[in-house]
Formats: sequence, structure tokens, C-alpha cells
Amino acid sequence: MNETITNLWSIPLLIVIPILTAIVVNLLYNRGRAIRAVSIASAAVLLVISLVSPYGFQWFTGQPGVTYDGTYTFNANVFSWKLSLEYYYGPLQQIMISVMSFLLLFVVAISTKSLKKNFGPYIALMFLTYLSAAAIMMVNDFYHLWIAVEIGSLLVAGLVAASGGGAAQKAALKYTFFSALSGSGLAIALALILGITGYANITDAINSVRINDLSGMYNVLYVSFAFLMLSWIYAGGLAPIHPLKSDVYRSAYPHATVMLQTQSKLTLVAIGLVLLRMFGTLPFAREAMLSISILTMVIGIVMALIQTDFRWILAYLIVSHSGLVTVGISLGTFRGIVGGLFQAVNDVIYMSLLLVCCEMVLYFGRGTSIKFSGGLAKRAPLLTVFVILGTLAASGVPPFNGFQSELILIQAALEQGLPEVAAVILMVSVSTFIALFRAIYSIFLRPGDELQQGSERFKLPGTTLMFLVALVAITLVLGIYPQLALNFLTESALKVVFVPWVP
Amino acid sequence: MIELTLQTLSFLAAALLVIIGMAGMLYLDNLIKKLIAFTLLSDGVNLALVSLGYVQGGIVPILEPGASLSDFPNEAALIFGPGIVLTNIVIGVSTTAILAALIVILYKRYGTLKASKVLKGEHE
Repeated sequence: MNETITNLWSIPLLIVIPILTAIVVNLLYNRGRAIRAVSIASAAVLLVISLVSPYGFQWFTGQPGVTYDGTYTFNANVFSWKLSLEYYYGPLQQIMISVMSFLLLFVVAISTKSLKKNFGPYIALMFLTYLSAAAIMMVNDFYHLWIAVEIGSLLVAGLVAASGGGAAQKAALKYTFFSALSGSGLAIALALILGITGYANITDAINSVRINDLSGMYNVLYVSFAFLMLSWIYAGGLAPIHPLKSDVYRSAYPHATVMLQTQSKLTLVAIGLVLLRMFGTLPFAREAMLSISILTMVIGIVMALIQTDFRWILAYLIVSHSGLVTVGISLGTFRGIVGGLFQAVNDVIYMSLLLVCCEMVLYFGRGTSIKFSGGLAKRAPLLTVFVILGTLAASGVPPFNGFQSELILIQAALEQGLPEVAAVILMVSVSTFIALFRAIYSIFLRPGDELQQGSERFKLPGTTLMFLVALVAITLVLGIYPQLALNFLTESALKVVFVPWVP
Repeated sequence: MIELTLQTLSFLAAALLVIIGMAGMLYLDNLIKKLIAFTLLSDGVNLALVSLGYVQGGIVPILEPGASLSDFPNEAALIFGPGIVLTNIVIGVSTTAILAALIVILYKRYGTLKASKVLKGEHE
């Protein structure tokens, strides 16, 4: 059989275009119009590529399979290749990267309009954050996964620090210090997995763990599981690392937080699926993942409820809803995985809606503290409508998208005989509504003081209005026709549950 | 009883570096000292990775013409560990550079390198 390996054209483009754009906008430095044109064009191209790309692989290296029959014979047949460093673009990658590309397009359009000077490097960081998240989503080898996670951590720090202010720089410093611990842990996990299985390729390593009897290696497997989980917790901002991540979300500009939270959710999905596929059959592994997820949901929502600033509330809600994503993956069933993946898609959309509304509150010169503000609804009625719609979507109210994914998650928990988990998910939904509505009432609906009152209405900038309308439309469409997203996700979940050797 | 081979000693040294580095990062108050502790931690991880690839009496993992293919897998040192180390050094340098830059900025802003003073007052 003369099968040849065909590399997919779109995968290198999804990696190279952000790098080239980052270099160009960095060089343009303070030429606002040029940066805006280049970055919007690049983001649009990335969106088109992610939407139209077929599915396939990109191989960097691989070793020919060796058969031993007295002498070693190298067989170049594709089916005997032990694929090593590779990227994969499938339905899951398509929907996740398409959503991220869409968000990047509008985030870049908003930020190049709102920032005043020298923002070339800032936009470069935005594109590199996209790159790291796309790479994490597509990689199918531990080596690239490790590098992408490490780069992603440094980019988070860079993007937050570039948002300016002492609080942002402090958040970046703390996050970078902890990234050292997590990155080192991931490197050790990679080395241990290599030592046990001999494979850097994730699918090969998973097959090796499942096919070979590794009962004598349980201690090493658990150590590598622990280190991989540490990087999952860190990169995704799960408990007990949540204070660092929420600090990061709150300190960055809200439009930058759109990209940061998207990167976190994609990382949670990618590493979560690797953990599940590789260690899911180990005793207590899924239980450990589930415990962390529940802890994250509960701590996140409790912290959100006691905050007095809209930005902090959103930061902790992002953390809490990360737990919703991981709880589905940790359940490990088909329905649980579908629910977790769908929640990830929905979550980045409605949280982006709320974050852009938060950005507009700041843009109108209003504070985000719920103690000292009020009366914005009279002067910005359209923004008030958007923020209420975002709240309903985040709280899982029908017919918005959050309802569909949370319903699947609750069904998955009940199917597994875990009504407690279903109750926690329900509690997160209700508490999300309370936390957000408290802020909305204080900032938008409560009568403001005389200094804040005025007759002139605040007008939403055109690009922002388009972004908000598009986000609301997506939340509604996915809420009414969830199959549009589920068609992509069910295929991926089926592969994880029933055909573990396909990435 | 664990035999004290070169590999075991190397792992012990790596563990010591990791523990010292981690303790330094968590307990030292000076930001520069924390940075130095991070480099120790990173070195410890690198040493552990290099040690993983060690094979006693092993050979360089390059398959030369005429070499025995059946013995090669048992004798050759494992190459991937040191390969990871190369990348880890690059990542370590990048992280150190970012940390150093942030420390300089924060020192200019707050006039001190004490983490307890610089990092306090998060909920402004």
C-alpha cells in the first residue's frame, strides 16, 4: 500500500498568520490606521480559514514503524508510522477556533479604536494569545502542548501587564511566578509519560497506556497525572489557583479579558480531554478532576456573590463557569463531555457579551463599583438591554444558549447517579443571576446621584454595537437551535468515549 | 534499599534544587531572590529531565552504519529528555526576562523589592 501523508494546508496558516501579524503590528508600533487595517484583515482571514478548512493532520516528524522478524525492517507505509509531533483539525477544533477567531476580529476592531497610542505591541500580544490557544486546541503531542501552554502563560502575563496600572503589573508578576511551577510540572509529566510509553504523541501514548499492562507503573502514572493536572488547574484558573486567574481577568482591559477567558476555556477543554483519555481509567482520577471542578464552581460563585465591583464579579463568574466546563469533561460520559464542550462554547460567547458591556460602562466614564454608581439605564438604555440579555444567557435562562448546555450537564450528572453535582450546577446558575443582577441594579437601574445624572444619552460605538448584536444573536441561535453546535461536538465526544485512538 | 547510582544521585540533586527553588519562591520576601529561586527550580527540573535519559554504560543515541539494531534500543541513551531540556532552557530564559522586566517596573512604581509591600492591596 502506497499511502502518503498529506498535510492539511490550513493548520500552518492558523499558526503562521498570527505570528506574522504580531511581527508586523509590532513594527508598526504607533501607526494606528495601519495597525487597525492589518489586524482586522488578519483576524478576518483567520476566521475564514477556520470556517472553510477541511479536517486533517499536519505532521512535523514521525518515525517509521519497525517490525522485528530476526532483523529489523523499516516499513514506510503510513499505517505503520508512529506519528510523533502532529496537529489535528477536526470538528471540535473547528467550532472552538472559529468562535475564537470571531471574537478576535471584534476585539481587535474595538481595541484598535479605543486605544490611543503605541498599541502595536499590545495587538501583537492579542494575536499571539490567539495563536497559543489555537495551538493548544490542535496539538496532538505532549511536546507542543507543553510549549503552547508555556507560551500561553507568558502571553497572559504580557497582555495583563500591557493593560497598565500597578494592579495589572502585580497580577502579571504573581501569575508568571506560578507559571514557573506549573510549566515545570508539565515538563516533568511529559518526561514521565515518555518514559512509561515511549511516545510523545498523545494518541500513541494513550493507546500504549490502554493496551499495555502498566499495573506495575501506577505510581509513575499517578505522578504524571498529578503534574498534568497541576498545569490544567493553573492554565484554566481552577481552584485553588482561582485568585490568580480572577486577578488577571479583572486587571486586564475587559476586551483583553475576552481573549484571556477564551484561551483559558480552550486550554481547559484540550488538557481536560487529554487527562480523561489518558488517565480516565485510573482509580480516583476522574473523581479528583470532578472534585476540583465542583470546588471551582462553588468557590467562584461564592466569591462572585460577595464582590462589590462589576469587574470582580465577572472575573469570579468566569472562574466559576470554568468549573461548569470541567465538570462535564470530568464526568467522562458521552453526555457529560458534550455538555462540557457545549458549555465552553456558550460560556466564551455570553461572557464576552458581558465583558464588552463592562468595557462600555468604563468607556462612558462610569465606575464599575456597585457602591458608587447608578442611573446608567436612563442614559444608555441599549447597553442596559444587552447586559440584561447577557445575564439571562449566563444564568441559563431559556431560550438562550446557557440553558441548553447547563441542561445537558444536569442530565449527565443525574445519569451518573450524582444528583449533588446537578444541584451544584443549578445553584451556580441561580447564583450567577443573583450576582449579576445585583451589579446591574446598582450600576444601571438604581437612580444615580445628581452628579451622574444628565440629559445627554450615551451612544454605543458602531463596532461595539455590531459586536453586541452579533453576540446576542449567537446566544439566541444556539439556544434555539443547539444542534448547530452539537453536531460538531457530539462527533468529537463520541471519538473520546468510544474510539479513543482518534484524536 | 535504593542503590546509589549516578542516576539516583542526579535525581536527588535535582529534587534538592526543586525543593530549594520552590521554598525560595514561596517564602523569600525579596523579588530578586524569588527570581533566583525560580532559576534554581528550573535548573532542578532540567537536571531531572537529563537524568531520565541516562543509561549506565550507554552509547550516544545515533544509529551508525554497521551498528547492531537489536542492541541499540537497550544501549542508547534516551534522547527526548535532553531534547526537552533545550526547550525548557529557552522557556526559562523567557520567563526570567518577563519576571525581571515586571520587577523593574514594580520597583520603579513602589520603590521597594519587598514582595510583602509590592503585592499587598489587591482589591483597590
